[in-house]
Amino acid sequence: MSPKNVLIIGSGTGGTLTANLLSKILKNKIKAGSLKITLISESNRHYFQPANLDVAFRGADPSRYYSDVSSLVKPKIDVVYDRAAQIDLSNRKVKLARRGPVSYDYLVIATGSVAEPEAVPGLAEASLNFHTSPENASEIWRAINRINSGRILVVIAGVPHKCPPSPNEAAFLLDEYFRKRGIREKVEIKFITPYGRAYPAHDVSEVVEELFRRRNIEVVTFFNLESVDQGRRRVYSYEGEEHAYDLLISVPPHFGASVVRSSGIGDREGWIPTDRNDMTVLDYDDVYAIGDATNIPISKSGVVAHLESGVVAYNIASEIDGSGDRYGYNGRINCPMEVGFKKAIFINGTYDSPPRKQDPSMVKYLMKRLFARFYWNVLSGDFEWMFNLYFGETKYLLKTRGLALHEVRREAGEAAETVQEELQ
Amino acid sequence: MSSEINRRVIDARGSFCPGPITELFKAYREAREGDVLELLATDPAAKSDVQAWAKKTGSEVIGIVEEQGYIRIIIKVGKKAR
Repeated sequence: MSPKNVLIIGSGTGGTLTANLLSKILKNKIKAGSLKITLISESNRHYFQPANLDVAFRGADPSRYYSDVSSLVKPKIDVVYDRAAQIDLSNRKVKLARRGPVSYDYLVIATGSVAEPEAVPGLAEASLNFHTSPENASEIWRAINRINSGRILVVIAGVPHKCPPSPNEAAFLLDEYFRKRGIREKVEIKFITPYGRAYPAHDVSEVVEELFRRRNIEVVTFFNLESVDQGRRRVYSYEGEEHAYDLLISVPPHFGASVVRSSGIGDREGWIPTDRNDMTVLDYDDVYAIGDATNIPISKSGVVAHLESGVVAYNIASEIDGSGDRYGYNGRINCPMEVGFKKAIFINGTYDSPPRKQDPSMVKYLMKRLFARFYWNVLSGDFEWMFNLYFGETKYLLKTRGLALHEVRREAGEAAETVQEELQ
Repeated sequence: MSSEINRRVIDARGSFCPGPITELFKAYREAREGDVLELLATDPAAKSDVQAWAKKTGSEVIGIVEEQGYIRIIIKVGKKAR
């Protein structure tokens, strides 16, 4: 019998973890030659993207924050360095740029998101950002070092974007940076957001707005960026407002990966329509999407990709081993937000519970730092027990033996009735 | 340019962070004056958020319907600044 082929596109947090978890769960099948896991990676480098903040606002060295993809995946996984050029879901094929078509039995699309400053007229030329690459984040560090006075805008140029707290963190870290240089009163910091408050989640925003007020960071709300005039150094909104700047730091609009867009499997912005529970792509039971790539309206963050990868790995494993169990993701998010001066908050919630207010603390800051140091180990999938302890159960049983749980209960009820009748 | 009025349903149920209004912004960018946007949300903050946003953009909230477990907010897009 030919082996089952699991093809994973993308070697970010979601793709790497799915591959490693699946190879752990089904190691016997791989050993027996009945399962093959292939990870398609466009680059041989895996970047720890949250570090871009440290690069941009603390001058950290970008070369410290990447690892070779091959060092992060388990030995039985076949890593192919190539670019997915076309995804054909109907014929179960992915065309690779160099190697040509590859067939699959199960496909995991973990192609992430792409920040595109070019999507807003004038933005690419006029602004710096920390969402496109660590090298571009370094440009921000160089620019703020040159500033002795002036007006800095942090503008969210499109939603959704990677890491919802990152624009707020940028403003907080700018404030910290200029206070440490002793020139904070000469630098105006304005935080410009399309939302109606400083952070989209209501309770979290109360904490952020109070801190912004104390740090003298001005908030401009309901500003959906329409264009930037580099010559006049002004940003303009769809709502008809404009603001002047000396330095413009933007969070560019994000889109799904180009292969998703060119293959016609995403919505207009390239987000893949995905079941928010079992993570299957709409109308397909052999295709999954995770992380930033999906159209699920929750945070685009590493933690979400991480937790979703567990659901996908278990769902594919149960399909392959025929158990019929089906798992669902509960929408758990857990985004740390640094608020400067070694303090942080965590933004926690699920599909059913909005994030709640909490006080900034140094413990949370240290937890964020600790996690960053531990990141590479986490990708192995060997520390899931620790996350299960911390998060509680983020995946839950949707179906067992191929039956929805209410059907199982009904079956059990009928069986109990039969026993009762027989006893009588 | 067509004068046809478009109606678009935006299902943002289950979204608390970044929140249902994210989906509304995306639809607004593509909408034209007079278009109707219908937002489905479970986030209790959605109602006041959309009302404040509508005021700012000159759009009009023409209906808020409490459904089973979620709210349906109907918005008529006003004259756009740009």
